[in-house]
Amino acid sequence: MSASAGSTHGALEPSIRGRLMRALAGWSVACGLAVAASVWLTAANEVDELLDDTLQSSAELIGALVADLPDTGRDTVTMSAQQPASERFAWQLARADGSLVALSVHAPQSPWYGSARAGLSRRGDWHVFGMAVGEEGRMLYVAQTAAERFEARMEVAGAAVLSAFTVALLSLLWVNALLRAELRPLSTLSERLSRWNLDPDQAASALGSPERRELRPVHDALRALAERLSTRIANERAFSAHAAHALRTPLAGIDAQLAVAMLESPAPLRERLNGVRGAAARLQGVVAALLGLFRSGLEIRRVEVDVGAMLARLSAPGVDVQVAPNEPVMADADLLAAALVNLLDNARRHGAHKVTVESRAGVLRIRDDGPGVDAHRRAALNCALERQEYDGVTGLGLMMADRVARAHGGRLRLPESAEGFEAELTLASRDG
Amino acid sequence: MRLLLLEDDALLGEGLRDFLRAEGHVVDWCCTIGQAQGLRGEVFDALLLDWQLPDGSGLEWLKSRRERGDATPALMLTARDLLHDRLAGLDSGADDYLVKPFAPEELAARVRAVGRRLGGTATGLAEFGPVRIDLGAKASFLHGQRIELTAREWAVLEALALRAGRIVPKTELEQIVLGFDSELASNALEVHVSSIRRKLGRELIETVRGLGYRMEK
Repeated sequence: MSASAGSTHGALEPSIRGRLMRALAGWSVACGLAVAASVWLTAANEVDELLDDTLQSSAELIGALVADLPDTGRDTVTMSAQQPASERFAWQLARADGSLVALSVHAPQSPWYGSARAGLSRRGDWHVFGMAVGEEGRMLYVAQTAAERFEARMEVAGAAVLSAFTVALLSLLWVNALLRAELRPLSTLSERLSRWNLDPDQAASALGSPERRELRPVHDALRALAERLSTRIANERAFSAHAAHALRTPLAGIDAQLAVAMLESPAPLRERLNGVRGAAARLQGVVAALLGLFRSGLEIRRVEVDVGAMLARLSAPGVDVQVAPNEPVMADADLLAAALVNLLDNARRHGAHKVTVESRAGVLRIRDDGPGVDAHRRAALNCALERQEYDGVTGLGLMMADRVARAHGGRLRLPESAEGFEAELTLASRDG
Repeated sequence: MRLLLLEDDALLGEGLRDFLRAEGHVVDWCCTIGQAQGLRGEVFDALLLDWQLPDGSGLEWLKSRRERGDATPALMLTARDLLHDRLAGLDSGADDYLVKPFAPEELAARVRAVGRRLGGTATGLAEFGPVRIDLGAKASFLHGQRIELTAREWAVLEALALRAGRIVPKTELEQIVLGFDSELASNALEVHVSSIRRKLGRELIETVRGLGYRMEK
């Protein structure tokens, strides 16, 4: 059977804000990519149309300029530009037979077409627009490189993507700030809860009013929980006050009567009475420890306890108690005595005559020679101890021993035993 | 010392009464507030009070005594051990607070401490000329020599020592001595005073005619 797992804290739990931010960031990237693809496709057509129009306009303009250019026969004239000419834009003026009359600086020396070809066409890396010029069947070809068009598309798409990602980034920052603000009521509620003493009458002032509609059910549930807890605490306080009075006063009376009896007794009887007074004093310690244990918030006082010496002092009528091995344990002496008294009494009441107590590494094993319990019953007892649902399953002895162990950070288990009954009392958490 | 013990538990009340008597105190044990109120007018050196009594709260009763100007030292004997209970007890006029269960020896020691405070001495030793009285050890000395007194003589001497400088009425002293023997003869007090004077000197106890007795430091 494993120890119950404690609550874990820190960065292991997913963060609401982190999860939302990651989801939003992923969504923004996807949207940005979708926008980019969409812009790319749209811009391809639009830019092509725009550049085609530009090419056509340029052709008409250049056509007007070169329409009257004299033909020098077999030579081709290369037109120089006063300004540095673009390598991505060129034109050729061709005769009716396809040979070139003139061309721009960066135009290829060989004609694009051998025969007249009007309108838009693709020639290698060039987008060409051809139109007839003048009366002699001349053709003017104005062309633009494919790289120029690709660059134009990239510029348009890049600007669109940059805008999309800028908007997404700004949105992320805004949503992050918004999330912080919206989650702040939760941390405020946590802070208020940590300061609240669970008094239902102070719920309104301690918790304040819910800052968000979604938190109202949480506030209502907390108030209801506080009321239930408060009722339970009040009942337990009343019980412990009653138990304290019912137990402490007779104990004080026993001690006072014994003290008087010692004063009035002859010497031989006085020694016997002194032993009884000592046992009564130990009983007082046990009762005080149990009352303290019953009250929540008990702080245990660990000291080094010699288990053998403690068992020798404890009254265990009807059972022979043996101790081996006997390592000292760090425990609250009164609480441990209370647990052992209960376990020894438990053994006696269930028919044991001999009890062996083993103390090793902070674990006490109490074995007896009684009839023990069957596997089904042991499983039921262990289940009740594990869940701390003792009522109707375990007796008072096992419950008290388990409460003492838990007050020390350990617990009580009932391992399988070849004979008799065995209880394993751990006085420190095995989880460390 | 004359003590009023207000405790409803028979086992504890009887045990404490007998233990404190064995310590040399005169103890009046009452089980209810009603019984204690029947002793109105009686003078006690200290009150030992349980909190929860069948007919009311011992603490409330103490409060009402304090409101009437009664300054008799009071010790609360109670099973209530929580801090706010102890604070409430001390703030309501109790001079000391003892949580049950307690050893009767501890109660007796606290009563002795009350006696020392009443006698105006931290050590429990009081000097009256050549006479020295050890309130803690219940011993008297004349010129350093221990002088044995009977329980009744000691009760009278202690009562006068605790009220040193004041005239103690005969009736008050008789109440203290009466705790030992209700069949006391009418001149018993004078007999005890005379016996003390014989043992410790005539000057120790002054007779204030018509009023009572006085011891001067």
